[in-house]
Amino acid sequence: MDQRAILDHQFTVAAYVVTWVIQLGYVAWLGLKWRAQKREAARNQRSPR
Amino acid sequence: MKKLAIGLYAAVTLALMVWGFYQAIYVAPDEQTMHEVQRIFYYHVPSAMVAFLFFAISLAGSIGYLAYRRSRAEWAQIADAWALAGAEVGVVFCTIVLITGPLWGRRAWGIWWTWDARLTTTLVLWLIYVSYLLLRRFAAGPQVQTLAAVLGIFGALDVPIVYMSNRWWRTQHPAPVFGGGEDSGIKDPAMLAAFGWNVVAWLAWGVLILALRYYVERQHQKFAEQDAQDALNA
Repeated sequence: MDQRAILDHQFTVAAYVVTWVIQLGYVAWLGLKWRAQKREAARNQRSPR
Repeated sequence: MKKLAIGLYAAVTLALMVWGFYQAIYVAPDEQTMHEVQRIFYYHVPSAMVAFLFFAISLAGSIGYLAYRRSRAEWAQIADAWALAGAEVGVVFCTIVLITGPLWGRRAWGIWWTWDARLTTTLVLWLIYVSYLLLRRFAAGPQVQTLAAVLGIFGALDVPIVYMSNRWWRTQHPAPVFGGGEDSGIKDPAMLAAFGWNVVAWLAWGVLILALRYYVERQHQKFAEQDAQDALNA
């Protein structure tokens, strides 16, 4: 593999990895938000204001 | 039954993602001039298409909110939740476009960024919707949803400008792949298939997280409404 091909490969891998890190990071943040809401709903049901 | 349908949809989406990745990396041939780095295209372009679609959903939600905010409160809240979900998930996809594009550009052009029309209008689009999300996150008061809806409508006006930018002006960005005249289009069937599968896969994935974001926002609205009701009753 020449230097150009190695760099091309590294940039392609970087693009794919960044895409998945952003997507999965967002889904994880959304999941945490959702879980926090469920907990709040359960707490409100136990002790209605 | 609903959980089963969601699980089934998530499983099909996951399978599509794996299949799309396999097609892009292992099946599609190397492009003659750009070689391997051209494979970034299979994630970059579908992400842009999905971002545009979700900004359009945000536009529809914003218009719906403004139309119903005085007459049908429940419909207005539903429209507002779609507007927020579309904008937020659209920003996620647009962020990917703005990162994968320069990664490709560095290898293809030798530079990370240039202030050409396509790149600049895309950055402006991203900035408008980030400001929309910041407004929703940090501003308070009864007018926030209305202001956000107006900003969402202005933001969406940039979408057709981004789309047409490399038709209207001479840009460093590649010519339109589709709808750009006689020479446009993907000629190689394996490349076209890889592109098509990735469009379907990212669209399916986008719809999944859009629906989740909408659900979370609706729950948030219901809690806020309940809190307001409790405060009135106290």
